[in-house]
Amino acid sequence: MKYFYWGIAAAVVLTVLAVLFVPGVDQWVEQTVLRNVGRAAR
Amino acid sequence: MKIVKEVIIVVFCLLLIPAAAFLTTAAKQRFADGPSLVFSGGPLEAGALHAGAEPDWSVVSAVSTIELQLLDPPRSRRIWTAEYEGKLYVWSGYMSTAVGRLWKHWPIQAARDGRAVIRIDGVRYERQLIRIQSGDGLDGITAAITSKYPSQTTRAAVEAGDAWLFEAAPRK
Repeated sequence: MKYFYWGIAAAVVLTVLAVLFVPGVDQWVEQTVLRNVGRAAR
Repeated sequence: MKIVKEVIIVVFCLLLIPAAAFLTTAAKQRFADGPSLVFSGGPLEAGALHAGAEPDWSVVSAVSTIELQLLDPPRSRRIWTAEYEGKLYVWSGYMSTAVGRLWKHWPIQAARDGRAVIRIDGVRYERQLIRIQSGDGLDGITAAITSKYPSQTTRAAVEAGDAWLFEAAPRK
């Protein structure tokens, strides 16, 4: 489990950095939220 | 029992990744000029500030959403709008529900300090949000709203406080 926790921590940090600095990632997150909210509303 | 506990931990840890993406996107938008479709944004900065005579608000019939920013706090969001008899209106539903109280803060903030800026098609307008809770015009305003959107904003909903309705009047 120790390696799993390290993996999750690295994935969370990479996710935050990607959203902050990689162009288009924030729009992708938003589109994903919209898609899922739309599906839930239907 | 140990397996169940580990499965719960693994699921929780995996959920941290999309949660981080969601929260970071929301936080990033707070520093942007205006809101996105989902997340509220920072102050409206781009665009000419309208000066002069009151505009013909019938143009908003062709606009699905506008950007609205309060001066205090200086955060913006995208909302529906409607025009009735030359006046501009914005509103918020679900105000008497638990979800609404958690989700919708701007109407309460606007009732406290109604100074606002709206941006439509790249032009900013300084407005004063004035809450309307009753009056003869309510039928016409709510009819304008429900004819434009699939909205539950009726006269009864406004009078009961389920929907908070504001006139976006010119700021003095």
